[in-house]
Amino acid sequence: MTKVIGLPKACAALMLAATGVPGGVAWADMQSLDDGELSRIQGQSGITLEMDLQLSADRVSYYDDGRGAHLEGLKVGSSENPGQGAFHRTRIDIGADASLNLDYLVEDRRVEFSDIRLAGAPSVSMGGIFFDHSLQGTLSIREGGGVGGSGYTFDSAYTMTGGRLGYRTNGNSVFLDDITMNVEALGITLEQVGDTLELISENVTGNWKVGAIRFSDDPLIYGRATDASGAPLASYGGLEGDYRISSRTGIKAGGREGQGLRIDNETTIHSANFLYLDDGNALALRDITGEYRIYDLRIDVTNDNQGRPALGLTLGGLEGELAVGSVEVGPSGQSFGSVNLAFAFEDRAFNGRNYTNAVYLQGGGHQDAGAQGLRLAAEWSLSNADLSYTDNGNRVIVSGLQSWGQGDLTVNVTRNEIRNGTRFYDGLRIGFEDLSAGYRINGLRVGDENAPLQGGTELLLALGFYPAYEFDMDGHITLGAGGASGEGLTINSDIHVRNGKAAVVAAPYDEGAGEVPQKGLWLTEMTYDGHVRNMTVDVTEEGLAMATEEAWGTMDVGNVRVGTSDDGASFGRLRMQSYEKDSSALIRPGGAGDVCVGGSGSSAAACGALGGTWETRGDEGVSIAMAKVLAPAASDEKKNALLWETNRSVDGQGRPVNGSGTAILLNDIHTSDGGDFDGDGQDDNTYGIRTDLAVDVYPTRVIRTVDGVKRVEHPLGFAVQAQSSFKELSINNIDMIHPVGGAQTAVYGAVLQNVDIRANLTATPIP
Amino acid sequence: MSRHQLLSKAAAIVAALMCSPFAIAEMAPLDDAGMAEVSGRGGIYLSGDISINELGGPIQNDYFGRCNEQDKKCGARLAYQLKEGGGWMVLDEIRGMFAFEGLTLRVRSIDSGFGGDGELFNRDVIELGLPDTVRFNDVQFKIAASNTPRPTDPGFMQTDIFDVEMQGDVLMQGNLLVFPEGNP
Repeated sequence: MTKVIGLPKACAALMLAATGVPGGVAWADMQSLDDGELSRIQGQSGITLEMDLQLSADRVSYYDDGRGAHLEGLKVGSSENPGQGAFHRTRIDIGADASLNLDYLVEDRRVEFSDIRLAGAPSVSMGGIFFDHSLQGTLSIREGGGVGGSGYTFDSAYTMTGGRLGYRTNGNSVFLDDITMNVEALGITLEQVGDTLELISENVTGNWKVGAIRFSDDPLIYGRATDASGAPLASYGGLEGDYRISSRTGIKAGGREGQGLRIDNETTIHSANFLYLDDGNALALRDITGEYRIYDLRIDVTNDNQGRPALGLTLGGLEGELAVGSVEVGPSGQSFGSVNLAFAFEDRAFNGRNYTNAVYLQGGGHQDAGAQGLRLAAEWSLSNADLSYTDNGNRVIVSGLQSWGQGDLTVNVTRNEIRNGTRFYDGLRIGFEDLSAGYRINGLRVGDENAPLQGGTELLLALGFYPAYEFDMDGHITLGAGGASGEGLTINSDIHVRNGKAAVVAAPYDEGAGEVPQKGLWLTEMTYDGHVRNMTVDVTEEGLAMATEEAWGTMDVGNVRVGTSDDGASFGRLRMQSYEKDSSALIRPGGAGDVCVGGSGSSAAACGALGGTWETRGDEGVSIAMAKVLAPAASDEKKNALLWETNRSVDGQGRPVNGSGTAILLNDIHTSDGGDFDGDGQDDNTYGIRTDLAVDVYPTRVIRTVDGVKRVEHPLGFAVQAQSSFKELSINNIDMIHPVGGAQTAVYGAVLQNVDIRANLTATPIP
Repeated sequence: MSRHQLLSKAAAIVAALMCSPFAIAEMAPLDDAGMAEVSGRGGIYLSGDISINELGGPIQNDYFGRCNEQDKKCGARLAYQLKEGGGWMVLDEIRGMFAFEGLTLRVRSIDSGFGGDGELFNRDVIELGLPDTVRFNDVQFKIAASNTPRPTDPGFMQTDIFDVEMQGDVLMQGNLLVFPEGNP
C-alpha cells in the first residue's frame, strides 16, 4: 500500500504529535467492529475505543516542487510480539464547555520504517528508525486560540514508559533503551494568524530518563536490549533530565525555493538539568537556563550546492544564550564551576567568502559502509559567540569566537570489519569528507562582557585549542559502546588535516576599529595525520577518566611564521611525530584549593613565616592528572621525533620544498621505567611522564610601571599549580642532516632520569 | 659601559646563544612612551616559582632516593654520549628552585623607535619580556663522566669533575626579541 500525504496533512500530524496524541491515530485505517468489540464500548460519559493496531505501508511520500522524499517500510504494531497489533484504548468524552477530552492508553507500540530515501537518489538510503513505547495520558481540545476566537487550545499530559528509539544502518544499530518520560503541557494554543500557523506553549514541564544507549552489530538483534546469549548489549551510558520551557512556533508554507516549509521559533528554558550516567556515576549539567530564537528555517526537498538530491534545512539565523549553573562530576557533586554561552549563527563573510547556515540531508553515508547511512552536506557561519567560565565567582570570557566551514559529515552505525577496503570499528561513525573549516578568537575579557578586550588566548593551548585555526579535514571519529569497564565510550579515530593554519600566539582580529589580519606566531602549510585506537572515556567517582591503548600522529608544519599567517617571516619547517601506548588522563572538578605560593607550609601562618603567600582558591576549578607514556619507535611512522629544517630550496612557485634543506633531528624520544624489571627482555614503560595540573581563575599579582612608578595590581588570570615527573626520558640519537651529505649523528644517545618539577604559576592576559 | 647597558648587552648575548641561528638585533629596552608606539596587543604575563627535585624524584633504587636519605642521590641526572660506543658526559644531582615575576610573551610589530632603527627594521617579532629579578634558591648540579648511561647499569663507574651551586638574585632587564632571518 502506498500513501501520499500532502503538506497540510503532514502539518496536522506534526501538531498532533507535538501534543502527545498517539501517532497511530492520525494514520490508522478504520475498521468495522464486531459485536464483541462493540460490547466493550462504554458510552455513559462518552465512548471508549479499543483496538489492536497493526499497520504497514510500503512507502509514505512527501513531494515538494515535484521532488519526493520517501519513508519506506513503514510499520506500526506490537514491539513485544512482532506480527501482532499494539493495544490502543481511547476514552472520548465531550465536556460541558464543548471540549473534546481524550484519555488514552497505548501498550508496547513499535513505529518503524526501514529506509528514508530521496526520489532523486533511489540507490541509497538514510537508514531506518524504530520507536518503541507505551503511553498513557490525557488530551483536551477546546475551541479558541491564544489571540482571537479562532483556533484551538490543548491541554496535554502523558507518561511514556518502555521507550526505545533506534537508528539502524546496514544491520548495525544504536538505540536509546528503557526511555521513560513525563510531560505536562497545559494551555497550548494553535491558530492561524495571517498566513502563519502559530503554536504557543506557555508552560511545558517534564522529566525523562534513558536507561542506556546501546549498540548492536548483529542484524538479528533488532529492538532488543540483550544479545543472543541474553547478556545486555554494550552501553554508552544513560541520560537523565528535567525541564520547564515555553515556546512560540510559527509555521508557514513556502520553502527556500517554491514549495516547502518555513519555521520560526522562540524558546525560553526556564530551568533544566541534564545528567550523563556511566555505571551510576554522573556528569551533570545543573541549573540550565537560556533562550534561543530560530528564524527563517526552511525545509525543502532540493539539491545541495553540488547538485546532489537532498532534504535541505536552510537557516536564516539562530541566536541565543545558554547558562549552566554548575558542571559537576562524582557522587559528592563537586563542581568545575559554571559556564555561559551566547551565540549568533547568521550569514557572514569570512576570508572574502560568504557563508550561510544549512544542512542538506542525503542518503548513503560513507561510500564503503553500505547503502544505508546519512550524509550531511553542511555549511555554517557562527558570526559571534562569547563563552565564559566562572570559578568561585571569578569569570573569564573567551570573547569574539567565530567559526565558519563547509563540507560533508557522514553518519553510519558500523561494526568492526574491513569493508570495501575501508577499516571500520564498532559504533557510531562520524566521518569528515572535504571539510574546510576555521575558527578564531578575538581575545579574553575578565569580570564581565564590558571589560576591556585582552590578549591571552594562547592560554587555551594548555587545553589543546589553538587561538585561531583554519584547516581542510578528512577522517572519522567512531564512538563505540562500553568504557574501560562497564558503560562508557570507546573511541577510534583517524584524522587527516591539510592546509592547516594554526595560531600559537594571536593578537585580536578586531580591536574596535574594524577587522585586521591577525598577527601572531603561526603554524602554516600544516598537515597532520592522527590516529587513536581504543581510547576509553568513563565517568568515575573521581572524575572523567580517559585511557588510550595506542595513539600516533605526525604534524608537519611547512612554515613557523611570525606576523600574519599568509606572509609572516618563517623560522623554517617543523615536523613533530608522536607515539604513545597506554597513556591516561583524569579530569576532575576542584582546583588547587589552599596554596602556599613562593614558599612552603600547610597553614596561612606557617606559609607566611617561611616567606610564602597563602592563597585560598576555592573549591571549584579544574584538575587534570595525565600519564603520557612515550613508546619506543616501532616504525618510521610510529615514533616520537622532532625535526627542524631550514635553508630549503624552492619550487617553481617559490614555495620551500620539504626535505631539500639542512635539518636537525631528535629521533626516537621515549620514556622508560629505567630497567627491565619484569624480565620480558624490554625495559618496562608504565610510568611515563606524569603531570598533575590544578587550574583556577583567580586574582593574580601583576606589577605595572606607569610613569616610571611601579604599581601592584591584582587582575583576574589563571593560577596553575603543576607537578610533572618521569623516571627516564631517552633520545636515541640526534642527527644533523645535510641535503647532500645525508645524516650525521651528533649525539649517540641522551638519557634524563629521576625528574620531578613542581611549579606555582600565574598567567595573566596582557591588556 | 653603564650597568644598565651591560645588562641589556647580556640579555642580547643570552638570546643569541639560546636562539642561534636566529638573528638577534642589538636593541635597548623601551620606556613607557616607546611602548605606546608599539602596535598590536595581547599576550600573557607569567609569574611564579619552579622547583626541580625539591624532595627527590620518582625513582627509588640503590642510587636514587628521597632527599632525606643521606646515602642516596635525590637530584635529576642527564647523560649523553657524543661518540658511538664511547663514554657518557653527565650532569648529575640537578636540583634547585627558581622564582620570577613578570615574564611576558607576545608578538610585536616594530616599525618605529629605537633611535630610527625600528623604522628600518619594520617587522614582527616574538617578544619575551624579561622579569626584573630571577631568584635562585639552592640551584645546583654536578659535571661528571661515566661509562654507562644509568647508574644502575652493571660495572657503573663515574668520575665527578666539579659541582656548581647558585644562590641569590639575578637581574634580567629588557626584552628578548626573536625573529626569523635567512632562508627558511
